[in-house]
Formats: sequence, C-alpha cells, structure tokens
Amino acid sequence: MVLRVLLVEDDRELRRTLRDALTVEGYEVFVSGSAADATAVLRHTMASTSPLDLLILDLGLPDGDGANVLHRVRTQFELPILIISARHDDDNKVHLLDAGADDYLVKPFSISELLARMRVTLRHRGTAVQAPRTHYQLEALTVDLGKHEVRRRDELVHLTPTEFKLLARLVRQAGQVVTHRQLLMDVWGAEYLEHTHYLRLYMGQLRAKLELNPTEPQLLLTEPGVGYRLAEAD
Amino acid sequence: MAWALLWASDGVLNLGNLALLLVLASAMAGMWLSASISVALSALSVLMFNWLFVPPRFTFQVYLHQDLLLLVTMLGVSAMVSYLMARLRALADLEGQHAQAVEELRALGEQLRESIDVPSQARLLQAALQARVDSTVSVLLLKEPSAPMSDADGHVLMGAPNAQDAQGLWSCVKQCAAMGPGTGRFENQNTLFLPVRGRACALGAVALHEAPLGQLTPFNRETLQQMCDVLGLEVERSHTLHLAQLAKDEAQSQILRNTLLTSISHDYRTPLANLMGAASAIHDQGPRLSAQQITNLAHSVLLEAQHLNRMTTNTLQLARLDAAPWQVHKDWESLQEVLGAVLAKTRVRYPHRKIDVTLPTGLPLIMCDAMLLVQLLDNLVENAIKYSPDVASIHLHVAQQGHAIELRVIDQGLGIPDPWKDKVFQAFERMHPEAAQPDASDETQLRRGVGVGLAVCKAIAKVHGAAIWIEDTLPHGATVCVALPVDVQPEMHITPMEA
Repeated sequence: MVLRVLLVEDDRELRRTLRDALTVEGYEVFVSGSAADATAVLRHTMASTSPLDLLILDLGLPDGDGANVLHRVRTQFELPILIISARHDDDNKVHLLDAGADDYLVKPFSISELLARMRVTLRHRGTAVQAPRTHYQLEALTVDLGKHEVRRRDELVHLTPTEFKLLARLVRQAGQVVTHRQLLMDVWGAEYLEHTHYLRLYMGQLRAKLELNPTEPQLLLTEPGVGYRLAEAD
Repeated sequence: MAWALLWASDGVLNLGNLALLLVLASAMAGMWLSASISVALSALSVLMFNWLFVPPRFTFQVYLHQDLLLLVTMLGVSAMVSYLMARLRALADLEGQHAQAVEELRALGEQLRESIDVPSQARLLQAALQARVDSTVSVLLLKEPSAPMSDADGHVLMGAPNAQDAQGLWSCVKQCAAMGPGTGRFENQNTLFLPVRGRACALGAVALHEAPLGQLTPFNRETLQQMCDVLGLEVERSHTLHLAQLAKDEAQSQILRNTLLTSISHDYRTPLANLMGAASAIHDQGPRLSAQQITNLAHSVLLEAQHLNRMTTNTLQLARLDAAPWQVHKDWESLQEVLGAVLAKTRVRYPHRKIDVTLPTGLPLIMCDAMLLVQLLDNLVENAIKYSPDVASIHLHVAQQGHAIELRVIDQGLGIPDPWKDKVFQAFERMHPEAAQPDASDETQLRRGVGVGLAVCKAIAKVHGAAIWIEDTLPHGATVCVALPVDVQPEMHITPMEA
C-alpha cells in the first residue's frame, strides 16, 4: 500500500525538492502552499476511501499561522503531524508538541533526517485506537511493560517505581520526543509541572542503570530545552 | 522688680547708682519686647525716675544741672540698648528662618531624587509649597524641555487652575519669570506665578492661588522660588540621564548593526562562493561529470550549507542576546545531559575524531538555558576540532571548583598567542589590519572562520554569570575554560521506596 502524505510548505523551491525526494522514496505526495488550500485538500482527501497517512506542516504560511491548521486537524482528524519550522525558539516548539504535534524538525534539515522522523511518526500512527505498545527492544535492552520487566543483556535490571513509570512513558512513544511537561504530568502529576529537576535526577538514574556510557547515551536521548527521546526500537 | 530694688536702696545709694540700675532694667526689657515698646518704656521710666527720685521729689522739676545731664544720658542709653537688643533679635529670627528654609529645600531635594516619575515629583513640590504658604497650589510640569502645550502627554498639571490661571502658568513657563503680587509684573493679580527653572529655560511653573499677602514677604517668595528651582534642576538632571541612556543604547545597536554587516560581507561570501561554484558545476556540467565528481560536489555543497547554517545561528544568537539578554529560559539542567547532546552532534559530524571526556558523577544541577549552553560548548568543540590536526584528540574536562563548575575544552593545535587571548572573544577582531594580510601567517589562518563563534560564547557565558577565558595547553594548543556558578540546589522529596 502506498503511503499518502500532504506537504504544506509555502516556499516553492523547498516544496519541489521535498516532493521529489519523497516521491523517490515511494510516498504519494500531495502539496499545498497555503493554510486555506491545505484545509481544502484535507477535507477532500480525509473523506475519501484512501485518507492521508501523514501531514507535514510548515509553520510560517502566507495566509495564517500553521499552528491554527495544527489545532484544526487535531480536533477533526486522526492524522499524525510532523512540523517543519524555521523558527528556532524552543518555547514555540514545546508549545506545538504539547498541542498535539507528533514531532518537529527545525529548518534547515537533511532529507535523511526528514525520512527518519517520518518513519517514526508513521509507525506510531493510530496508537490512539490500537492497543498501546508494551514491548521495546534496542540492542541489549528489553522492556516488557506488561510483565513490568526490564532486562539488559538478559539480566534483570531493578528499577524504582518512578524510574519504571518514566521509562514506560518513553517506551510508549519510542522514537518520538516527549516534552518535559508531558513527562512531569504523566509520571509525577500536574502539581510537579515546574519541577524539572526531578526529571533530571531520575533520567540520570535511568541512564546509570541502562546505558553503557551515561555521558554519551545511545538509548535515552536528550533534546535540550524540549524533552527526551527514547531511541527508535530495532 | 527694678522699682522695688530702687525703693529699697533709696537713701543707701546715691542717685547715679540708682540710675544705672534703671538702665539695666530697661536693657532687660529690650531682650523680650519689641524695639518701639522698649524705647517707649525707657522714656516712661526716665520720667518716673525724675518724678520719684530726682530732687525735688514728686515733681518733674530738676534742681541741679548734673541731675538733668544724668536724666538725658539715662534716656539716651536706654533707647540705644533697647534698639540694639531688638535688632539683634530680628537678625537671630531671620537666621532661624533661613536655616529652616535651607532644611526644607534639602528635604525636598532628597525626596525629589528618590521619586521616580514626573507626576510624583510635581505632587511633592505641591505639598512642600502648601506647607509653607496657606494657599492652594497648582503645578504645571513639562516632561521634557519645550514640550508644546497641545501635547497632553508632554506635561503634567496638578491642582485645579481655572482657564485664566492655566494660561498664566503657560506664559510663566514661556517667559521664565515670576508674575503676581510683589514681583513687579501683574501686581494686581491675586495669584502668584513662579517658574520652575532649569539651567537654561523653565521646565514648568507653579501658581499659588490667593496666597495671604502677609506671607509673601520677599524672603518667603525667594524661598518658594528656590523650592521650584530644586525641582527644575532635578527634572533637568533626570532628563539628561535619560538622554545619555538613549545615546548609549543607540551606540550599542550601531555596534551590533556593524557587526552583522561585517559578518555578512566577510564571513558569508566565502561559503556562498563555494556553494555557488559547486552547485553551478552540477547544474551546468552535469551530463559531462562523472558520478564520483557529482558526489564530491554535492558533498561540498552540503558542508558549506552546514557551515553557513552554523554562522547564521551564531550571528542571530549574538544579535538576540545583545538586544534582549533577559529573554533566556533558564531551568535546572544536568551537565551530563548538556554534554551528551553536544557529543552526539559532534560524533555525527566528525565520526573519526577522538574526543575524551572527564565528567565526575554527582555534580550539582546548573540553572541555565540548555539550548544556549549546548550552543556554547558546541562552538568550543567545533573550534577545537577545526584548529587542531586530525589525529590529535580533544579533551573535555569538567570539575567542581568550590561554588563553580569548571568546563575545559582542551585542544592540541597551534594555541593562541597571549595578545589574542582576550581579543578573540570580540566579534570580528581578526579584521585587524595586520591580521588581514593576504600572505596569511599561522595566526591569521587560525583566526579564519571563527567569526562570531567565540563572541557568542562570551555573550552566552555572560547571561549565565559565567566566566570564560583561554589558557595554554602544554606542550601546545589552546584550552578554553568556562566557569559556571552553582546555585543553591532545588529541594527534592524522595520517598523511601525510591531510595
């Protein structure tokens, strides 16, 4: 089955480059250069028999902020969204992720980065309706959320309840960035939203237990100023 | 009392001594009573003395010429003493008034200096004037010299003057001279207008409505004027300070603008030329190039684009930190994570370079902006790699030193000569004439491409209250050190199950 992608980007050159690159990779690509056009395409395709699989959304659109499109899509459709943005301020990035974007890329980016993010985002497609993932494996690490079990090189690793909750939250979205806010909310609760230092402490402990070299982590990756990302599973 | 004494000593003392006692009494009266009263009293007492003591007693006649002379002298001395005493008292009074006025002026000046805006200064003056004179006071104060009457935001009007008085206030400002009773101008008005004078022109005016004429002595009017002038000078002073700050800001943004222009004209041209060359080669000669050549060209396009991206990010960050250093999002961060993020990026870019890391466990958290700290370290590591031989390793060293965490990025390149150790942190310092010679020495080679990189590092260090400096690596190379302050650590509640 061919995966269908809608690319919303107002710069013609970048639109063409990305469309060609994605087509070469075997995606069916729809393009759109404005928020209004994107809304029309979305309404049309999402109602058809073969709806879109992914939305790639630029934030700076000539006829309105891409963030508005993001909010509309989130309320109307079950469609993964990957943000591409030239804005470098993390507040905005974090805000969009918290508002429901699946992932983001800051311009300029390479095609391989884009393809990697698309793969992860597509893999998570539909997790809201399907059973959430309970298994994770990368290299020597195995996590079984159902059995409450974490193993490294087949050896059982003892985690405290909070450490396990934190890891489980990241496993559920493996490969994708999870913001500080989302982690604090889901693991500690609403009253801890400003207590980033808990996150630092427990991530440090998790790394010490799970990583070969905690200073250069291969599994529990840091997105400075935004959140954490568990490396994509094998 | 004096008379009682006189009766008592009558017959004991002679007439001359009795007269002296009387003179003493009238001098004492002069100390308490006003000049005219005490002179009159003296005259009266001389007459009484004549009547009672000078023979023949109980008549105003005088037998002896001697006694007459005594009486006249008594009268003269008494009058003189009374007059002198009164004058002394008046002078002392004036002195007291002066001292009080000076004290009031000093207090007003102090209050004015402490108040922050023009309206509160106007209110202070109004209160001070009303404390001195029984009258309602209106104050008009311009926010900057020669603000027009039509600009409602340009001035402050306190009190409730009627239209005519408001007009009077404005004309008082324009002419910078007092008007009203006692000033020689518009004497028939019952409102006294005083200008609030600065060094060169009036910055406002006050109107004292229907002040009692008795209180408007020349001295009092002078004091009121001085009070106004204290405010005038204060307004002028704060206005001058404001102007100086504006000029400083303007100069600062001018420097920044020049920095950005220099950046674009010098640092961007080289990578752009390389980009243009490689891309146009693929575009124009595509069919005639081998697949390997095209790959090489594409690779150089990619490298130059990355280089441009880094420079753009640095330049923008420098501009942002310069314009709004307070817009930094600080949070508790772990150095292990920050360092990890930098290393991850570097490993992708330079998979073959050897990078050693010394990072003790259990370091305190740092209150910082993670993105900025990553950018700082990333620039340092990038420089270290660029300016040292491919085979040489880079060393990242972290250690806690008292209340600071010291980060060291150590390379084994050519090092940086002492005169340059401070200068490299200034954007485009390498544009120095001798360093820009076409025949590039080692030093100028070293400086190439640094551009705003270290300037950004310094700006980032500054917003974190951190120090940044360069030392020598032995036997050769540069060590860039960053000392980050450690704040009081946040509280954490860990349940026993977690321990």
